[in-house]
Amino acid sequence: MPRLARAGGRLRAGLSGLALLAALFATLFDPLPAGAAEAVVTVQGANAVEILDLDAGTVAARIPVPGSPAGIALSPDRRIAYVTRPDGPGLAILDLDARRVTGTLPLPGGPLGIACNPRSGAVYVADWYGKRLFVLVPKEGTLVPDGEIAVGASPSGIAVTPDGATLLVANREADTVSVIDAASRRETKAIPVGKHPFGITLDPDGKRAYTANVLSDDVSVIDLAEGREIGRVKTGERPYVVALARGRGFVTDQYTASVTVFDLASLERLAAIDVGDHPEGIAASRDGTRLYVANWGANTVSVIDSGTLSVTKEIAVGDGPRAFGDFLR
Amino acid sequence: MKMLALATAAALAVVSFSAEAHGPTRRKISESVEINAPADKVWAVVGNFQDMSWLPPVEKTEGTGGNEAKATRTLTLKGGATVVEELSKYSADKKSYSYRIDKVDVKTLPVNDYSSTIEVEDAGGKSKVTWKGAFYRGYMNNDPPPELNDENSEKAVRGLYRTGLDALKAKVEKGS
Repeated sequence: MPRLARAGGRLRAGLSGLALLAALFATLFDPLPAGAAEAVVTVQGANAVEILDLDAGTVAARIPVPGSPAGIALSPDRRIAYVTRPDGPGLAILDLDARRVTGTLPLPGGPLGIACNPRSGAVYVADWYGKRLFVLVPKEGTLVPDGEIAVGASPSGIAVTPDGATLLVANREADTVSVIDAASRRETKAIPVGKHPFGITLDPDGKRAYTANVLSDDVSVIDLAEGREIGRVKTGERPYVVALARGRGFVTDQYTASVTVFDLASLERLAAIDVGDHPEGIAASRDGTRLYVANWGANTVSVIDSGTLSVTKEIAVGDGPRAFGDFLR
Repeated sequence: MKMLALATAAALAVVSFSAEAHGPTRRKISESVEINAPADKVWAVVGNFQDMSWLPPVEKTEGTGGNEAKATRTLTLKGGATVVEELSKYSADKKSYSYRIDKVDVKTLPVNDYSSTIEVEDAGGKSKVTWKGAFYRGYMNNDPPPELNDENSEKAVRGLYRTGLDALKAKVEKGS
């Protein structure tokens, strides 16, 4: 069984039962932190996680994280980051306010995709060499392993519905999306999609999901109530993941160094915006006015204005930014 | 002579026996060269996707689609190995094109999911040519054989770019 290794070797004094209770309430009622908007970017080649001040457009902090960090998920209160380390293999737990690693946890296989349940705080990690998710639950300020969930071959991106009841998993080699009942931890359905789905994104009300299909160069649109794919959108070459803002989808196209924009209602393709080399993670600001793109090849984060569909800023970051997952807070 | 042999003859002599107990992460290599010639002149040599004759190991280039996105080319190397490539993006204005390898034997070039960009920039009347690539090592699972590990895959690509860029410089500066 994986074992938790604490970076500091000591329990944090501040975590009492009361604090846990407070954290639970924060989870349920107040998911957003105060303060400046930040991006938490895994910079894989640099073996670090960088925290970007998005108002200033600068790197505010760099936290060393060995093991080629790639995937990222944030706790419901947005104060903790969980980062996968494919070369650990395992994951790291980061206190984002204190700007430090508070623990590391070894995992077998190839941990890459990761997501956090917005209600329970449970963390799901995809083993992209296997057919399983690892489940880890928060306990006393850290995470403890709590079993596995069987999914399709080579699980990659994971999304959780806002009510915390359903997980969606993009199975890269199986060309399917697993629908998982979070309570029973069982797959209730496998929905066929395009070729090699990698990233998966849910809309805010949990009704539709979008997969970026790396080998068929398109996006599959899934209606969750119907439990099937209802549309397909052509993208640039080797799409990675989709972000949603103001009624539009934004897809990072790795090989064409662009972001494909499409209308969520008509599924019509609207534009392709040139960004840096090999764009990967993408996410929208809370108000939907901007998108942030981690350019793995160019070592930059591009800022896109979702109204004008143009790049307004490039922020220089460390080597190999990936930010695969939920990386804005 | 195969590309791998050309690029890694030296690298393979130094083999690491330490097992890597983890899977691959994507690697990146970027090499550049300064050429004493205007960018237009250099682009005239490298800017045709259907002509890789400036790269020493290449014996012939055959393809379809010209310089349009989705054009393909098959490189036949000295010794007979082939590499099938597809054009992803082409800009004569930016003097840049991006392509991917669709098919190559890892014995020829030890890479998977390889994509690459070649770009020519003006450098005060001279030119700077950058050739960069993104790829996974030749062996996609845990515990690769030494010749297909990260280190040797990177050495092979770096060696290829170095060979190509130095040959390009020599060819353009000689005016041939």
